[in-house]
Amino acid sequence: MILDQLVWPLALVLAALVLGPYLLAVLDGLVARGLGLTRGPGLWLAPLRRGAWWLIQHTNVTEAPDGRAWRLAPALYLALAAGGLALVPWSRAWVATDIATSLVLWGSIEALATVVIFLQGWSANTHLTLVGAYRYVALGLSYILVSMFVLIGVALPAESLALTQVIISQQELWNVLRQPLGLPLFLIVGLAITFRGPFNLADSTDLAGGTSADVSGAQRLVWEFARSAMLVAFSGIATAAFLGGWLGPWLPGPLWVAFKMLAVLALLAWLGPAFARLTPEHCVSLMWVVLLPLAFVDLIWAGVEALS
Amino acid sequence: MAVSWLARLAACAPVPVFPALGMRGEEALYRLALSPEIKLVDSPRHASLLLVAGGVPPSMQQALRRVHDQFPAPFTTLWYRSTPLVELPRAAVTTVDSLDALPGALVESHGSLLRNTVGHSPRLLPDAPPHPWQGLGDDGHGGEGMMGGVPYGRPMAMPPTEDLRDGLALDVLTFRLGPFFPLWPPGLEAEVILQGDIIQQFSVQSSPFPRALAPVFHEAREQSVAIAALERARARHHLQALFHALHLAGLEGLARDALRLADRCPSGDIALLAKWFKTFERRMKRRGFFALHLPERGALRQEQAERLGGFAARAAGIDRDARTEDDGYRRLAFATITQQAGDTRARWRQRLAEIAQAFDLAARAQRDDMRTAQTDAVETPRGAWRDSRPGGTSPLLEDLLPGLEWGEALASLASLELAALSPWPREERAETQMGGAA
Repeated sequence: MILDQLVWPLALVLAALVLGPYLLAVLDGLVARGLGLTRGPGLWLAPLRRGAWWLIQHTNVTEAPDGRAWRLAPALYLALAAGGLALVPWSRAWVATDIATSLVLWGSIEALATVVIFLQGWSANTHLTLVGAYRYVALGLSYILVSMFVLIGVALPAESLALTQVIISQQELWNVLRQPLGLPLFLIVGLAITFRGPFNLADSTDLAGGTSADVSGAQRLVWEFARSAMLVAFSGIATAAFLGGWLGPWLPGPLWVAFKMLAVLALLAWLGPAFARLTPEHCVSLMWVVLLPLAFVDLIWAGVEALS
Repeated sequence: MAVSWLARLAACAPVPVFPALGMRGEEALYRLALSPEIKLVDSPRHASLLLVAGGVPPSMQQALRRVHDQFPAPFTTLWYRSTPLVELPRAAVTTVDSLDALPGALVESHGSLLRNTVGHSPRLLPDAPPHPWQGLGDDGHGGEGMMGGVPYGRPMAMPPTEDLRDGLALDVLTFRLGPFFPLWPPGLEAEVILQGDIIQQFSVQSSPFPRALAPVFHEAREQSVAIAALERARARHHLQALFHALHLAGLEGLARDALRLADRCPSGDIALLAKWFKTFERRMKRRGFFALHLPERGALRQEQAERLGGFAARAAGIDRDARTEDDGYRRLAFATITQQAGDTRARWRQRLAEIAQAFDLAARAQRDDMRTAQTDAVETPRGAWRDSRPGGTSPLLEDLLPGLEWGEALASLASLELAALSPWPREERAETQMGGAA
């Protein structure tokens, strides 16, 4: 009883929280190698080396920062990612946070991420970090809306807001096929909320690192780790909402979840650096004019499909 | 024990280097960008090595001290063809004069720093606000009411003034950047007033350092030179400029590809270069480089384009190129390429078209060993060099950048060449070395 409801789910969440960002860093290294940015051996050790360097580097201070908020922001972002991972069902029985409204809780995590990212950029009290924070706040709402509409789409056939019920509703056909617009839209939101690749507007190169431009040492390690952990949480929710979660032949459910999450992470790691960064104007237009109407179409599609 | 194990692990990571470029320091940047053991970063907070490449004028040494003091401990400094600040202890200073030895020296310095065998660089300036706290007004910020004043000598985020974009007024933020800000030309220092992420005012405080060109452009002013060599140098120059724009766009892989192509320009097989460039250009378009530059952003007015000359003028539809006056080029049926819009996107289209044209001209000139016929006017990548060298034009930024979003402003800056032409050429040695590497 305790093993199924507490120990195993918690162990899996912690394992995903530690191993997920590490594997994502390895995947990023693999993509960077493909682009000719790195070479030589040490693909598996590279993330650990970078982490060790961050641990050795001192955490700096800026002039008159909001110290407590600044130190807390990366930890809060990591806590949100961990909260998201806790919602991922690993099997029918192994769910760390098995509540009837897990999709709503995930929505609140996305909304709170906006606050935390703004806090990170604003509390450093420096100009480029603040511009990064402004940018994220200007765009965050559109990300959340797209995400919520596609998630309501998967809740309709399940007739429930619980992720376990969403997975059970996919026994005959996974949502990735039943609602073909859902997963691509959700993955774009994943890239946007963790500001990677073309959606890296908050921590972008033109801002010398944006919200983390003036962050160093262990604080930066936690921030980068949290960004990766949030993408891992995204891949977990995407797996449950669109890829049938634990469903699959031969292998145990948790292994299926892990494989599917890894596949989503690999896809996102490959997609990230493939395109130039969008301008804020392009990004706003893309979100409100293209992706949000597509999310409506997805929702209508899901509704019609649920009725028939 | 644990610390030394951590330090050994960290010492194997790519060396995070913040480059502070002085005069004629760009070659070091381009070399290091292609060194896999080096990671160039844009913020001193993300580095443990300060690389000062090229000469720093005395007037900018205080700014260099400020950059130096922003590094989190532990860090050290390396000076490439530059004189170290006198107050730095010898243990925290490494000097290197050879471009070939530079990556190795950086790796060595980083390793020694983490093994504690070289001294950490000390703080040079007092850890205090640059101006005293004013402590005036109702809220102790130096102004009146809730707004205004200059606490610590800098204006506060002021109440909204008229917005230049969409009427949504945000707080106005004033700050100064440069002359070692890595995302714009070295030497450029400006006071920027932002409203949100829109530039409201851009005041140039110091112009970019003069830019050195390949020696062949200087030789062409004195004697007849091979057109192929001139065009290869032109293509190389534009490809190196493209590196900065691609880095800004977040396309790191393509940025390195541009530098690899540039490295091969001096002596690579011209047919292969043209073929690689076509593939490279296709990939740039496919990955959304041009989509990043919205129409009409950074558009030059006619008189501004004329003042700038060169490719920037041609991108604005001004059909002017000193190569049309040269008999050597005429025999190659040289025709000027122009664009119409004169904006950031048109400048990049123009530069890409001129790179392709340079490869084509070089291929034909090489076959027939064609040489330039005149020395009175040479078309450099910076513009026509006639009686006098093209001068600096950075003050036009004060007119061009206001109203642009921050990223667009930096992209516009990257598409322009505003520095004056240096009276001295880039060193020949670096050129032959690159040729050898190709």
